[in-house]
Amino acid sequence: MHKKVLSEIALYHGTIDMPKYWDIDREKLAQDILTQNLFNKEFPFSRQWDMLNTYMRDHINLEYGFSLINKKTWGNIYKPKEASLPLLQVDKVDLRNSPDFVFLYGVKLAKDSCFVRIHFDDNRRAGRSWDIPINNNQFIMFPATQMYYISPNTSDQLNFIQTITYEFI
Amino acid sequence: MAHFAKLGANGKVIQVLTLDNKDMLNADGVEDEAVGQQYLERHNNWPAQMWIQTSYNTSGGKHSSGDNTKAFRGNYAGIGYTWDEDDQIFWPKKPYASWVKKIDEARWQSPIGDAPELTQEQKDQNTALTHRWGYNWNEEGQSWDLVDSKTS
Repeated sequence: MHKKVLSEIALYHGTIDMPKYWDIDREKLAQDILTQNLFNKEFPFSRQWDMLNTYMRDHINLEYGFSLINKKTWGNIYKPKEASLPLLQVDKVDLRNSPDFVFLYGVKLAKDSCFVRIHFDDNRRAGRSWDIPINNNQFIMFPATQMYYISPNTSDQLNFIQTITYEFI
Repeated sequence: MAHFAKLGANGKVIQVLTLDNKDMLNADGVEDEAVGQQYLERHNNWPAQMWIQTSYNTSGGKHSSGDNTKAFRGNYAGIGYTWDEDDQIFWPKKPYASWVKKIDEARWQSPIGDAPELTQEQKDQNTALTHRWGYNWNEEGQSWDLVDSKTS
């Protein structure tokens, strides 16, 4: 008897463990997110963003043996009590140009003030969801075909979350 | 062209990059690993001490030219290898839990040594393609098992 897995919905999560004294300056990233949102500009390339992106690409290649290619990046700010709309990063009428993965990174968040809800179908058991908390310096990466949303910010501070979308080869 | 391995926090190689030799020359015009490390830190946002030079022509503690005095750090680093600072060797992934380091040859070895030599008869049969004899490591039994992969 044999088994073949035809498709999987994998969730990658953890913390960004940079070398000592080389932590990502999340304040700088938060400032960039603020600038992008205030002035409606493209997210600026920065050394801090590059460190985050390179870390993720290197470690996914090391641990799981596939390479990530950048598609888009942006940051979001969530005010107190604010949640995101349901989000979906693939464009079902333009799958060729859609990403494979969504990567979310906790830039500056009040502790345990929100989580990410990822919706998925488990064959006949459709309409399921998985909640995973997101905190400072933590990341979550999942297939871009999954709808997700960021739960209401239960703190009285602004929450900053960075998104990067990737293709994989 | 020089090669440098980028180390992760646990000493694992996460990337291997090439560097133009002119970018690692010191003030005296001599190639210096520390200069290369500084260059890579500046251009790759990763601390200098976590870039370790590796030799493309070294494998199993031997140099491809035959002159083993040129062998450098055991093996050419690859993604997933581990840097052993004490022995100055890049180790590939350990193939079996029980295997031990053979430092002089920069390779892993079973706890009972290498697989026995095939007999002349077995070699002849392999050459004639009637069999494909070889030894497989049996981790559970801690032994080398003779198998004919053509029939099994």
